[in-house]
Amino acid sequence: MIVPFSHVLFLGGILFLMGIFCSVTRRNLFMIVLGVEIMLNAAAIVFVGAALRWYDLEGQAFVLFVLAVAATEVSVGLAMIVYAYRRTGSVDPSTFDLLK
Amino acid sequence: MTFFTFIFFLLAIIIVVSTGLAITRRNLVHAIIYLVFSFLGSAMLFYLLGAPLLAAFEVIIYAGAIMVLFLFIVMSVKVDSSEEKMFPFSQLAPTALFGFIYIIIGVVVVVKAPGSYAILETAVATPKDLGHYTLASHWLSVEIVSLLLLIALIGVLCLGQNKKGKTEDKT
Amino acid sequence: MAVLWSKDVTLLAAVAATLAPFASFVLIMVFTRSHPRLSAGLSLSAAGISLICALALLAGHWDMPEPIQYSGNWLASGDIHIPFGYLLDPVSLLMLAVVAVIGFLILVYSLGYMAGDPGFARYYALMSLFLWAMMCLALSPTMFQLYVFWELVGLSSYFLIGFWYEKFSASQAGKKAFIMTRAGDVAMFVGVILVLLNLGNLNILDMDNPSIAGRIPQNLLTLSALLIFGGIIGKSAQFPLLTWLPDAMQGPTPVSALLHSSTMVAAGVYLFERLFPFFSLSPHAMAAGLAIGTISMLLASTMAMVSRDIKEIWAYSTISQLGFMLMGLDAGSFFSGAFHLTTHAAFKALLFLCAGVFIHKFATNDIFELGEKGSRNLRVPMVCTVIAAGALAGLPPLSGFFSKELILAGLAGLANPLWLAAALLGVFLTAYYAFRPIFIVLFPHHSTSSQKASSASPDSGHEDAHDQAAYRLMAIPLLILAGMTLLLGFFQYPLQDFLKYQYAYLGIPADRHYGWLPYVASFLAFGGVGVAWVEFGRPGAARVGFVERIPILFRLFSERWYLDHLYRYLLERVVDKGLSHIFAQNDNKVIDGSIDGLGHGTVESGRIIAFLHTGMIQYRLLAIFVVMVLLSLYFFF
Repeated sequence: MIVPFSHVLFLGGILFLMGIFCSVTRRNLFMIVLGVEIMLNAAAIVFVGAALRWYDLEGQAFVLFVLAVAATEVSVGLAMIVYAYRRTGSVDPSTFDLLK
Repeated sequence: MTFFTFIFFLLAIIIVVSTGLAITRRNLVHAIIYLVFSFLGSAMLFYLLGAPLLAAFEVIIYAGAIMVLFLFIVMSVKVDSSEEKMFPFSQLAPTALFGFIYIIIGVVVVVKAPGSYAILETAVATPKDLGHYTLASHWLSVEIVSLLLLIALIGVLCLGQNKKGKTEDKT
Repeated sequence: MAVLWSKDVTLLAAVAATLAPFASFVLIMVFTRSHPRLSAGLSLSAAGISLICALALLAGHWDMPEPIQYSGNWLASGDIHIPFGYLLDPVSLLMLAVVAVIGFLILVYSLGYMAGDPGFARYYALMSLFLWAMMCLALSPTMFQLYVFWELVGLSSYFLIGFWYEKFSASQAGKKAFIMTRAGDVAMFVGVILVLLNLGNLNILDMDNPSIAGRIPQNLLTLSALLIFGGIIGKSAQFPLLTWLPDAMQGPTPVSALLHSSTMVAAGVYLFERLFPFFSLSPHAMAAGLAIGTISMLLASTMAMVSRDIKEIWAYSTISQLGFMLMGLDAGSFFSGAFHLTTHAAFKALLFLCAGVFIHKFATNDIFELGEKGSRNLRVPMVCTVIAAGALAGLPPLSGFFSKELILAGLAGLANPLWLAAALLGVFLTAYYAFRPIFIVLFPHHSTSSQKASSASPDSGHEDAHDQAAYRLMAIPLLILAGMTLLLGFFQYPLQDFLKYQYAYLGIPADRHYGWLPYVASFLAFGGVGVAWVEFGRPGAARVGFVERIPILFRLFSERWYLDHLYRYLLERVVDKGLSHIFAQNDNKVIDGSIDGLGHGTVESGRIIAFLHTGMIQYRLLAIFVVMVLLSLYFFF
């Protein structure tokens, strides 16, 4: 036996909150993307725990797709950051307020 | 407290602490290195929870490819992060407030849910099992994901071909 | 099943038959496009493999009490499984054999016809694609797979009709064929979805099972049958979607031959045969099909009576013969439709290939010009044309006579004598329009010019031997097809025997025989030929058809009953002027207005809460988080 399933849920929840904190409160485009990565990782942990909880491989298979989506998201996100940096010379999100 | 429980708590502490350190670093390179540790901890947690293939992928893709990509970009952009205003109050205050509500809701939901006290027993899904399962019953999703990666590749090439050829390679 | 597939000869043959043309398509497109001879060889050998396999399958399963079905999973995601496989039963095997035989002969013929064309390799690749799509369609075990290949048939015919894409009219005709059939395909797709929703799967054997009546409500069954019939209308060029087929002759003539005889348009009738029990469960759909078949048969006959373009005449005749097949099937006589499809494939391919020889030689489509230039001196195609036209007209010992007589017998069994009367009128008109061009070409009006042409022909004798070789190459398939046209009629009883297990559980009553019917039918057919002879054939004939003496009718017929004009008018008035106008109004007033209002509202409210809203991305993230927390509060408590 390892731990109750709730412990895995708590761990995932805390990590998710940390990801949100990172992407909402840090004034840095990189940290926003980094926070999204942390959130995806938290979801993956919960999925793996649920797969073990119900002995169903569906959860693990889903984590594979989460990994793929994370890879896609990072590559596109970083490309956009580099693009924005080339245009403005800054990675501070408060400088991108053209929509205001 | 069994040995596995001990390992779980150890890994949880490693993950939470290193993630917490990562999100508070002013220096981006430091933040990324801490996050690599967090992901390595997650990989070991996956192994503990019976997903060795996913553990390997976590190391290769998350801790390896994605974080290294981050490092490359951060170093090539040469961002000066000393001027960054850490945790501005107008953003921190609402986040803290609603984060607190979020924690309360989460705890209540998890405590009240009947199934969440089931004890996790050790079991292993071998890489062969997972591969068979994925390709036998999620054929179409695999194809769709491959299409998604292709689209990302094309999109990144389009975004990156501007001016100097600093195109990002993806994982 | 899948484990033993290499040991199962039947499955191996089916796979080889359907895969060979596709392999040759890929090989030609990827590797050998710049080597025309090699490409033609590849394509021909692939068609040959298919031919051998198809005939072997037909012979090996001559007595097949039960359909054989092979299927494996093609796509799977969670609970969704999409099977892929082969369904072998008499109908599909017969269709496979017809496609393989006609396709192979046409490919041989094309060696002569297309020689020297810059797109020679491309032509063979596309023909292979066409054959592959049609063969897989014939062997599909599920409606889903059938629909996939149905669209592939449409796609490859689009490529082939627009083969000479430099010519504006050709690319236009290709587009027209594609879009008009698409109108039907949309209906069919909706019908298939309806079946899927109610039945849970699209297995053709399940759909053909009589117990389906208990699993789908009757009105839904009728609705889906009618919608699927819409697809058949589009593909088989029936009323009201019939005008694409005459335009489709812009493609090379062998393409028309294949398109008209055994692939594209036959796919529609084949689908009807495939789902015959399904359709027969819904009397309304059958009645609608009967009416549509009759209308298109008569309409196309009248159009063919006034046309001067030889390919156009044969194109109209295809529509009218397809109408005949649908009439037979809708009258409940399964075998007559299947038999007429088979005989029609042979004689229609023959007609087009002969027309191709004339066009190749004299570079004109006009029947009067063809006659004056001395087409009668080309003995082999001329004799073949006469045989095929005889079969088309339903003259007695030729194949068309037998199959058409069966259809008439089926119609005579119906309660309403109107259908039989219409069909008999159709027989008369068919004979008339089939022999009108024959007499015009055979007995050119100006005997002097014919003399000139025949005296000119020795000059062309010492043309390069290449032309002669091409001509001889083209003559071989003609002779084979002519032989088939002559003999196929006598295989009625073996074929009937072969198809007797198909849908045996429906208990279709054997077609009754009406002793008087063959006499009436052949009398009418000979009457049609006779009228054509009086007007066009006999020496000193006025060479003006009786229709042409009535100007209104003539204009109506030659303008295709103004159907194209009607469509154009509808398109311009209803879609362009009406709907677009409404949509434009809608855009201006409603959408623009509301968007503007939204914009103004956002700006105003933005000003109000501007102290919070700095337009920065992180505040949006924060808003998402806040909303998420509030939503979870709402949902959990």
